[in-house]
Amino acid sequence: MKSTTTMNGGWIARLQDEIAQAWTVAVKDVKVYYLTPPMIMFGLVLPFFLFFSFSVKREIGVEVGMARLLALTTFFTASSAGPVIIPLERRMGTYDRLLAAPMSLLTLLLGKTLVGAFFATAVSMVPLGVGVLVLGVTVANVAMLLIGLVLASLAFAAFGLIFASIPTHSVGSIMMPSTLVRWPLMFISGIFVPLEEMAPWARALAHLSPLTYVQDLMNHAVLGAGALNPWLDLALLPLLLVIFLMPAAWLHHRSRVLGY
Amino acid sequence: MNNTIEVENLTKYYGDLLAVDHISFEVRQGEVFGFLGPNGAGKTTTQRMLTTLLEPTAGRIVIQGHDLAHDAYPVKRRMGLVPEESNVYTELTAWGNLMFTARLYRVPRQQREQRARELLETFGLWEKRDVKVEDFSKGMRRRLSIAMAIIHKPALLFLDEPTPGLDAQSARAIRDLIRQMQAEGTTIFLTTHQIEEASLLCDRVAIINHGQIAAIDTPEQLKRASERVQSVEVALAPSGTAPGEALAALPGVTTQVKMGDKWRLYTDDPSALLPQVIDYARSEELRVISLSTLGPSLEDVFLEITGQQVGTVRHEAQANDQRGKRGGRR
Repeated sequence: MKSTTTMNGGWIARLQDEIAQAWTVAVKDVKVYYLTPPMIMFGLVLPFFLFFSFSVKREIGVEVGMARLLALTTFFTASSAGPVIIPLERRMGTYDRLLAAPMSLLTLLLGKTLVGAFFATAVSMVPLGVGVLVLGVTVANVAMLLIGLVLASLAFAAFGLIFASIPTHSVGSIMMPSTLVRWPLMFISGIFVPLEEMAPWARALAHLSPLTYVQDLMNHAVLGAGALNPWLDLALLPLLLVIFLMPAAWLHHRSRVLGY
Repeated sequence: MNNTIEVENLTKYYGDLLAVDHISFEVRQGEVFGFLGPNGAGKTTTQRMLTTLLEPTAGRIVIQGHDLAHDAYPVKRRMGLVPEESNVYTELTAWGNLMFTARLYRVPRQQREQRARELLETFGLWEKRDVKVEDFSKGMRRRLSIAMAIIHKPALLFLDEPTPGLDAQSARAIRDLIRQMQAEGTTIFLTTHQIEEASLLCDRVAIINHGQIAAIDTPEQLKRASERVQSVEVALAPSGTAPGEALAALPGVTTQVKMGDKWRLYTDDPSALLPQVIDYARSEELRVISLSTLGPSLEDVFLEITGQQVGTVRHEAQANDQRGKRGGRR
C-alpha cells in the first residue's frame, strides 16, 4: 500500500511540515480544551482573583490596575495551559498519538506553547477591553502593548511546559509544584510593589522573576513610563521563550527515556 | 523476503526492574506478526519502544531500513498505531478527529476528505460523522481509532489488543480489515492476549515471557513442536454425572479439564487412551455423545511455554473454590 502522505524532501519542506504540525496541534487544543473546568479555573478565574485580592482598597489608578492585570493574566493563563492540557491528554491516551506522529518533540511543545499563548492573549483582551471601552483608559503605546502581550504569553506558555513534564495524569499533581514556583515569582516581582519603591535587595531579587519585565513592559505600554528600559523588556521575552523551552524539551524527552 | 522490523538485543530497564531482556526478532514485510505474552511479560513495553514512545535502555531497532535511534522521522510517517485504549478526542466529531490526524500526517488537502469519507463508510460511521465522539459506544470509538491510525495508509500498523470488549460484529469487521490490509501489502504487528485471534490472523507469532522471547514461529509449527499437550475430548450422558476423578485416574491421563459439558483429558498417547475411555463408559453404563482426539491449541502452547501447566490454572481455581465453599483456610 502506498503512503498518501506528502513525501517532501529537504529541510525546508521538513520545516514547513513541522510548522504546519505545530499549528495543527494548537488549533486542535483550542477547540478541545477552551472550556475545560481546569482551564477556566487556573487560566481565567485565578489571575482575576489574585488581582482583586491584592489590589482592592489600595487606591491605585485604573491605568496602573489594568497594566497589572494584563501582566497577571498573561503569566497565569499562559503558564496554566500546558499543565492543564498535557496531563488530560496523558489520561485520555491522546498524548501518545501526538508523540507517535511524524514531528519532533520540539514541534509538539511549540504547538502547546502556541495554544497557551492564544488562551493568554484572548483572556487578556477582557481587562484590556473593559479598561479601554468602559473605563476610558488610554494606552500610551498600542503596538508595544500588543507585541508585549503576545511575546509574554509565548514565554510564559513555555514556562508552564516545564511543569507539564511531570509524569502524571492528574492536573492537580502538576498545579501544586507549579504554584509553589509561580506564586513566589509573582510576589518578588514588581507587580504589587513598584520597583522604584523596593529596597535595593528586593529590587535585585525582583530581577530574577520574569514577571518583573512583563509588568514593566505593560507599564511602559499603558502608562508611558516604567522602571527599566522597555527595549530590554521586549528583547528579554523571546530569550525567555528559548530559555524555558530548552529545559521543557529536555524534561519531556527524559520522561520518554524513563518510561513515564 | 525483506524484513520490515529488525530488533537486536532490545533491552529496557525501569529503574532496577528489567522489563525487556535482550530480545531479538524480525518481522517480515507484509506479514501479520502476533506478539503474545501474559500480563507484565514486556509486550507493551516492546511495542512502545518500536513505536518511538519509549527509548530503549540498550539494543537496536531498524524499521524499513532506518535505525529508530537516529532516523525515526521517515518511519513515523509510514507507521500507524492503534493503542489498547481508543485514544480519540471525545470533544471533537468523528470527522474532526480524522481531519486532525490527516493534517498531522500531512495528507494532502485534496486526499484528506476523500480518504476520511472512505474510512467512515468502511467502518459504518459515515452517518455519525458530525456527532461528537463523547456520544459514541466503545465499539464505535475503537473503529474510529483504527480509522485515524490508517488515514495516511501506513505501510506498518501496530495494533494493541484491537478487539477485546467489542461486540462480535465489530470484532469481525476489525479482523476483516486486518486481512484486507495485509492483502494490500501492509505489515501488521499485533499485540494481543487473545490467542485464538492470533491463531486466526497471524502468519507468525512470538511469545514473550519474563521479558524474553520464549518462542517464535508460525502457529502451526508451534503446535507441532508441542506434541506433549495432546488430548482426548469426551462428552458422556446422562449429563450431570461428574466422572472427573474417575477419568483422571485412567492410565496415561496427565490432567483433566471440564470444558462445558465435555471433559478434556490431556495425555502423551491419545490412541492408547481412546479405548480406555470407551471401556470406562461401558462399565459405568454411560453413553458416549462425542469422542475426539485433539492436537495442542495455540493456547495450550502458550500456557506450556509461559510455565503454566495445561489445565492447572483451571484446576487451582476449582480447588480454591471448593476450599472456599468448605470454609477451609490454612
